[in-house]
Parts: sequence; structure tokens; C-alpha cells
Amino acid sequence: MYRSRGTDRNSRSNNRSNNRMGLSGFKSKKKRVCRWCTDDESCRNLYIDFKDTKKISRFLTEQGKIIPRRTSGNCARSQRQLATAIKRARHLALLPYIADIPR
Amino acid sequence: MAMYETIFILDSLLSPEEIENNINRVKEVVESQGGKVTAIDRWGKRRMAYEIHKKQYGFYVAMEFDSVGNLPQFLQNEYNYNDKILRYLTYRYTKNKMKARNKELELKAQGKELIPVRPDTEFEAAALGRGKPGFRRTYRKEEGMKDVQK
Repeated sequence: MYRSRGTDRNSRSNNRSNNRMGLSGFKSKKKRVCRWCTDDESCRNLYIDFKDTKKISRFLTEQGKIIPRRTSGNCARSQRQLATAIKRARHLALLPYIADIPR
Repeated sequence: MAMYETIFILDSLLSPEEIENNINRVKEVVESQGGKVTAIDRWGKRRMAYEIHKKQYGFYVAMEFDSVGNLPQFLQNEYNYNDKILRYLTYRYTKNKMKARNKELELKAQGKELIPVRPDTEFEAAALGRGKPGFRRTYRKEEGMKDVQK
């Protein structure tokens, strides 16, 4: 009785994993590109202005949190600049620290 | 010498002359310490993203100056002393910001008109306002501001 249940569960989970994963065994991901820089040159000369709240707020969640790099796809350099820009804008009340708290 | 920018928020209830007086006072601090003011940009009255000292609106002023390193400290003293100033931020231009600025100045020298970067007020109010309870405030370019029921 116990055995049969065990095998059943195993087979089910195998099926699921086959659906989700590719041959390599990892989740297949879409490749994300940094939205600030197009090439190496532009990345090195990048300056993200905190006054440009329209551009910056695309990288905030509805609650006003900074979207992590793993979801937005920013490169490390631009994410670092973006974070300081957002923090400066928050300090000057251009952006909220908290917005729209869900209840 | 390095370039700095200082942005401060004045109480929006002050009269225009009082606002000018306060701006001049900050300017004097910069000049008395050997700094050189290169630009003053008055953003005007804006709604703030959150209340500061129970005030919803503030008068934003951005001042760009060229100075030695210990000037921001003197500015800070002035800001902390003056209770009409709600918030301030002073920062030094980074290498990349200088590059961007020089490019802008070049374009200006060629006779192109440049609009200084300012935060978008309309977008601000829409994206950040909390709206009525149970509603969510959205903003789209075509439709404008809208309160949508959750």
C-alpha cells in the first residue's frame, strides 16, 4: 500500500518536471536586457538622473519598492546608479517611500 | 574645484519676495565661501510625494555651483538654521554627470535650446497619490488620471 503510493507520487512529480524543465534540468529563462545601456561605451558613460522621475519610476513596484535586478534585467552598474537615484528622489519627496499600501 | 548641485524645498506659503530672500541667502552662503553660482533653476510649487511638517506642497529650487570641498558643510548649517527650508540635498557631480553636462553645454553653444530636466508633475500626482480608499489611482497618457476600483 505504502509502496504504491510512493511510486505514484514520484511519477507525478517527474511528469511535472518534464513539462517545466528543458534537457539541461534548469528552468528555461527569457534573456533580459538592460534598459539603460545599449553597448559597453554607453554603459560606461551612463548617468541616471534622479530628477527624471518618469524614467525612474518604471523600476518601482506599485508600492514604491525598487524592483530587483533579477526581474528587471538591469546590468550591475546601472542598477547601482538607479538605486542611488531613487533614494535621492525619495529624500526630496519626488517619489514616495511607501505608496498604496494593500489591505 | 568641483561642481555641486544643491536642491532645497521652501515653504510654499511664503510670499514671492520672501522666497527670493531665502534663495539669496543661500546664494550668499555659497559666494561668501568662495563658491561660484553657475545656475539657479526654480521648479516652482510642486506637490510633494509625502507630507513634510504637515505640508503637502513645496517650492523647489535647484542651484548649481562650483566650489571647494568644505562648502556643503556651511550650506548644511544654513539649511538647518533656516526653518523655512523643509528639505535639502547637496551632491557632487560624478564623472559621468560632468560628461553629460559638458555635452549639454556644447549643444547650447551651438545654439540649441535646452530644457533642464525636471520631475514630471502630472505623472507624479497620478502615480503617487493614494486616492480614495478602495480605489487605485492610475495614469495613462491617453486617458489621464483615473481612479479605478480595486
